[in-house]
Amino acid sequence: MFQLDLKSRKSIYEQVVDNLKELIISGVIKEEDKLLSVRELSKILTVNPNTIQKAYSELERQGYVYSVVGLGTFVAQRQKIKIDDSMLSDLKYRMRESIKELFYLGLTYEDTKKLVEALIEERSEWEC
Amino acid sequence: MLTVSDVDKNFDNFRALNALNLNVRRGSIYGLIGTNGAGKTTIIKAITGVLKVDKGQITIEGEDVFDNSAIKERMGYIPDDLYFFAGYNLKEMARFYKALYPKWNSERYENMVKQFNLDEKRKLARFSKGMQKQAAFILIMTTMPDYLILDEPIDGLDPIIRKLVWKYVVEDVAEREMTVLVSSHNLKEMEGICDSIGILSKGNMVMERDLDELKSDIHKIQVAYKEKIENPYEGLNVLHKEERGTVDLLIVRNRRDVVEQIIQERKPLLFDMLPLTLEEIFIYELGGVDNEVQGILF
Repeated sequence: MFQLDLKSRKSIYEQVVDNLKELIISGVIKEEDKLLSVRELSKILTVNPNTIQKAYSELERQGYVYSVVGLGTFVAQRQKIKIDDSMLSDLKYRMRESIKELFYLGLTYEDTKKLVEALIEERSEWEC
Repeated sequence: MLTVSDVDKNFDNFRALNALNLNVRRGSIYGLIGTNGAGKTTIIKAITGVLKVDKGQITIEGEDVFDNSAIKERMGYIPDDLYFFAGYNLKEMARFYKALYPKWNSERYENMVKQFNLDEKRKLARFSKGMQKQAAFILIMTTMPDYLILDEPIDGLDPIIRKLVWKYVVEDVAEREMTVLVSSHNLKEMEGICDSIGILSKGNMVMERDLDELKSDIHKIQVAYKEKIENPYEGLNVLHKEERGTVDLLIVRNRRDVVEQIIQERKPLLFDMLPLTLEEIFIYELGGVDNEVQGILF
């Protein structure tokens, strides 16, 4: 499954959400796969079931999973995923920080641009 | 649902609890935190019916707790100062509990004794403090409580046993919607296990909130600007501010995106933002504005 970091400043709830997203996006858990039940995951991770429930609800809100009453929670199809504004702003913040570091390393504007473009190219799944 | 409303408790001239309110939802793990002498043990003793309050009400599912044996059968309490009958071993204690609690689960008892690896036949008085705590935990968890009240449950337990204790607690919350109220000074572990937090100070409830909410709207930020700006933090709810050379250190209570927007507008040279840990929130909320403790922390 995945590990939680109790020393992290990130809350357990955020860690559960992020870890599951990573598993979904990287394809470890596939579309239409059933997620572990709240109870099962809570026991495996020794995490408060209310926290897991909240994480599942958040994933559902963002379109990563859907739930069927009585059956459980399933991974949604890719195109259902909504872009989350607060996550986008979070990522923007991290990218800004990384670009700042490149600047301090002494990279020129052109080098930085090339580097970022090359990194984007690495993601072959994207259709141009 | 466990509800404490408007409770006062005095010891002679000392007011230990002052118009205290506290609410624990069913199936929730509620962490009660506070400085030494804040009233944590007093309120726990009132909830478990050991102490009678002077004013106010304590109810579980709408029923008064004090002197209510039907409620107490469904409640498990592990006090900070444990008590076992003189000369008893764990097996004899278990027999006593079995007679008292209708939902006693013998199978679970056997499993837990094995898992915690305790000698049932050794006198409990001969157990180390940590082992006595484990014995109390086994006895209480075997009564299958609907309400579990723990006063400093993990103090003096080694990390392996602590993990095992939480495993049992989480499992019962997941499987049977057990409701848990736990007090501790180990904020790191509380942060990992609780979903709601109540902060007590001098017999008052300072704040009672969902842990994630509590953490999502209080941030620690570091900012530096090229030149001095007039009122750089206008629009932010600044709880604490400190200048360290050209870098400002602030504690703000705002949503993350709000902080980001306001700070970025002023084009900072440096801008870092971190969520606060429960430990920091605790010290900030209870340290007071001009307490020297804060200088050490932030």
